[in-house]
Amino acid sequence: MTQQEFKRNCLIAVTLAAFALPLVVRSATYLHILIILYLYAYMTTTWNLVGGFAGVLPLGHSVFVGIGAYTSTILWLQYGISPWIGMLVGAVLAAGVGYLIGKPTLKMRGAYFALSTMAFVEGIRVMVENIDMLGPLKLNGPRGLNIPPLQMGEGSFWAFQFSSKEPYYYIILTMLVAVLAMTSAISRSKMGYYLKSGGEDPDAAQALGVNVARYKVAAMVISSFLTALAGTFLAQLTLFIYPKSVLTLDLSFELAFIALIGGRGSIAGPIIGALLLRPVTEFSRIYFSATLPGLHLIILGVVLIVVMLYQPRGLTEPLLRIFDKVAARFAPALPDTPDTPDTPDTPDSPDSPNSPDSPNLPDTPDAPAGPDTQGTPAAPGATASASPREERP
Amino acid sequence: MKRSHLLSAVLTLCLAVPALAFAAPSVKVGNILPLSGPSASVGLQAKQAREMAIEEINGAGGIKSLGGAKIELLYADSKSDPNVGVTEAERFINTEKVHLLAGAWNSGVTYPTTAVAERYGIPYIVPVSVRDTITERGFKNVFRIAAKDSWWTRDQFTFLKDMQQEFGGTLSTVAFVYENGDWGTGFAAQWKELVKSSGMQVVLDEPYSSSATDLTPLVNKIRRAKPDVLLLVSNAADAILLTNTLADYKVSPKVILGSGGGHADPTFISACGANARYVFDIVEWETDVNKPGAREANEKYRAKYGTNLTGEAVDAYVAMYVMADALERAGSLDPAAIRKALAETDYKSGPGMIVTYDAIKFDESGQNRNAALSIVQINDLGKGLERITVWPKAARRAGYTPVFPMPAK
Amino acid sequence: MDPVFLAQDCINGVLMGLIYGLVALGLTLIFGVLKVINFAHGSFLMVGMYVAYWAVTLSGLSPYPALVIIVPAMFLFGYWVQHLLIRPIFIAEKNVREPITVIIVTTGLWYVLDNLALLVFGPDYRALNPNPLKGQMLEMGEIIVSVPKLYGALATLATAGGLHLFLQHTRLGRAVRATSLDREAASLMGIGQWKIFNIAFGIGTAVAGISGAVLTPFYNVYPTVGIPFDIKSFVIVVLGGLGSIWGALVGGVIIGLIESIGPNFMTSTWTEGIVYALFLLVLFVKPSGLFGQKQDW
Repeated sequence: MTQQEFKRNCLIAVTLAAFALPLVVRSATYLHILIILYLYAYMTTTWNLVGGFAGVLPLGHSVFVGIGAYTSTILWLQYGISPWIGMLVGAVLAAGVGYLIGKPTLKMRGAYFALSTMAFVEGIRVMVENIDMLGPLKLNGPRGLNIPPLQMGEGSFWAFQFSSKEPYYYIILTMLVAVLAMTSAISRSKMGYYLKSGGEDPDAAQALGVNVARYKVAAMVISSFLTALAGTFLAQLTLFIYPKSVLTLDLSFELAFIALIGGRGSIAGPIIGALLLRPVTEFSRIYFSATLPGLHLIILGVVLIVVMLYQPRGLTEPLLRIFDKVAARFAPALPDTPDTPDTPDTPDSPDSPNSPDSPNLPDTPDAPAGPDTQGTPAAPGATASASPREERP
Repeated sequence: MKRSHLLSAVLTLCLAVPALAFAAPSVKVGNILPLSGPSASVGLQAKQAREMAIEEINGAGGIKSLGGAKIELLYADSKSDPNVGVTEAERFINTEKVHLLAGAWNSGVTYPTTAVAERYGIPYIVPVSVRDTITERGFKNVFRIAAKDSWWTRDQFTFLKDMQQEFGGTLSTVAFVYENGDWGTGFAAQWKELVKSSGMQVVLDEPYSSSATDLTPLVNKIRRAKPDVLLLVSNAADAILLTNTLADYKVSPKVILGSGGGHADPTFISACGANARYVFDIVEWETDVNKPGAREANEKYRAKYGTNLTGEAVDAYVAMYVMADALERAGSLDPAAIRKALAETDYKSGPGMIVTYDAIKFDESGQNRNAALSIVQINDLGKGLERITVWPKAARRAGYTPVFPMPAK
Repeated sequence: MDPVFLAQDCINGVLMGLIYGLVALGLTLIFGVLKVINFAHGSFLMVGMYVAYWAVTLSGLSPYPALVIIVPAMFLFGYWVQHLLIRPIFIAEKNVREPITVIIVTTGLWYVLDNLALLVFGPDYRALNPNPLKGQMLEMGEIIVSVPKLYGALATLATAGGLHLFLQHTRLGRAVRATSLDREAASLMGIGQWKIFNIAFGIGTAVAGISGAVLTPFYNVYPTVGIPFDIKSFVIVVLGGLGSIWGALVGGVIIGLIESIGPNFMTSTWTEGIVYALFLLVLFVKPSGLFGQKQDW
């Protein structure tokens, strides 16, 4: 078994384990916490398409969550259209809005982009809070919309409501796996390279004739489409939405936090970020909120600061380095070493070790297998264009 | 070495704490409250009132029909966010295995969390949240102590009518000014219906943002509309700012009538000072209520936490006694039995019964059918500003004549 | 519209707008030099308000004399925040002109400060006591002008003027400007980049402290008081041009006037929407803002 195969097998094993988890975890609370965790990992992954690959900092992704949530809810409440269909309608709408927002703003740099996306969220929240009826559509202003729950013990696929947590778990897990596969494909596609090169140094990319802006807008459209799907899921999970719950800066910020803690622009980043940050948020709130109000948010703040100070590129890189070491121990680096008799997987793995589409999870510079990858990633280059992310062919 | 000692100490602690919790038989009550964020102030009051009640109940021997079981309160911070509230309700029910839930102050959080409780069949006591629809969904497990918002607005208009009859003078114009959240817009919708039969003309209907940094433009708008009556729904920070700014700009309608919340916040009077004088406010309870035990309860609360009991705190306080009463009668921790006992509640007397009305009884929807409201006026009778009950007339503080209309500034 | 009403609204709009400008001034100053947005700026304002509150409560001074305590305290606070928290990131991400991680660190700081205030001072709304300025109004017929706001507006102009003089006419001020224009070149010319960063951050924070002192006579102090000012300040600095002192004041006045005059034509909640719409319009049409220089990045 090569390192590549080992890693791939690990990935498959983790995915299968995630799908099998509800067989072991019977507590609805933990399932619920996991559902929320996956939901955040999902939203952060879609955020990452813009915030990670395109190298800008969007702080307004809750707009798309809101559009997804409101669209499907309104369609269900007023027209009886299944939230599954509403989900797609909302996503298409969000993609349109994403285009409208992205087209002018993505030309801006850094601070301006971040601030303008914030202004969009706030502006749209103000609008929704001030509008009770938008034509025939009932937005219900600040009071929000509630989805009447089905009778106790009932579930319905059509209504996107289930009596137990497991269906929600599988839906969001499937969405998460799909979106991860999608981002990993995008990151390896031409678009991914262009996005990343644009994110690292827009001028150089422009000079090379890459229309960075166009790819960024495309990324924004895809990202907003996918984010809106999560909005519908969130609405169906809580059955109640109002402007301050889905159209908030808090949510937008949290996505950015998770991505940055995990590592921007890396595919595993949102997962690792969510795995680390969500439990910190949840458990510190559970244990401290009653006795020391606010302490849980202090903890969150301190975690953010400490991670940014000591691992400004996120925690994924160091974790994957550890994983590489583990991989190196279990599977020697050379692909055809004879001393691997206890690995029956070897014959039936068709992928060549360095095949371009082997699902090597990380999008980190140390992707090519080899003993020397345990070292630090290449130091940030002296010139901006020689940054480590561009070492790929 | 040292590190491993520390580690083992921490581990022991982690293991020991839950073990201790299981040692005594207890009734677990999950409380969802806004303990951080802009509503942290009311969340804290709700928590303190609950704690005082439970200390008393446990001190008096706990739930006797359950072998002297003690009530254990668990808290969760909703941050006023419904999504967090739902997560916490799920956790309370599934992991903490609470026997009852109570909360959540914000109607927006109570609304979805009661739905969670209903799904699991866990009784949920709502001390405060006023939104009508909370008890209008046919739920079996929701029990609300407070009056619902249609009763609040109804009583506000009755008050205005009664005052005109008693003191003469006519109130011909009214301005609605309310925070643009769930609560304010809910009240305003009711006002717009009620005003039709009141003979008053609406000269201003203005929502505003509670987080507005400057309320002067709003105050100027009120000044120009020259209403006789100013009806307000405000949270704490904006109630203070609005009251001060109204006074600064010499806006003097005949009546300023608040809707609890910010106007009832314990810091409202101290932060506004003389500007708060003559303001009317609708509440569920006031410190001068003529009810045995009320004064003592307030003294005790004041000594413990430094502020007076508010109507919302009293709702929370009484809710704990209603809960203890139901548990006593249920004699079981089975949710269905507790639910049944709660539904049959007829709580007339007892240590926590300090509300103005005679008995707490729930109708089929779970609404406390007797929940009554009173209106107070803030005035200084020589001992500093205080809140004085003026309406209904039967409950008016002896010897006090309401200042109506407010003197012009 | 009645001209008296218009005059009244304009006066209030300008006064309040200048105070908004003062709050934004610290933000724009920090941005001008470090090229990062300090998301904790609202929290700095909150800290400034608590410092002002306690300085007044404990010393019995009125808020303006208390500035002799507030300004140095806040300067040191900002100086050390930059030194201990922001500088290491600049060092770690040397090749990045504008590290996004700084935004996250300042956001983390915002969470820590706001909730530390909640933990230490509780959620209470505190009003200044003694408060000699409370309720003082100048009446000119129908027109009423708030004295504490007038003082606030004057303090804004004085602060902006002082900063202008400092940046244009002192050696240190010129070093700050040089660093903001081109930090590498400034470093080569022997200007210590980190020290300048510390000082700029300290001054920005001290200005937030002045804003706190200006606000306390007519505003309550509570842990989340900074949040509404936070977003408003972002809008103002972009409107005026990131990094521009006078731009911040003009941006503030524009917002103040919209908020003040707007409600004559719509419910006041919509004015917030107008502010965001204008903000986006400026971003699209003239991203450098009304007074901003074209940035070198």
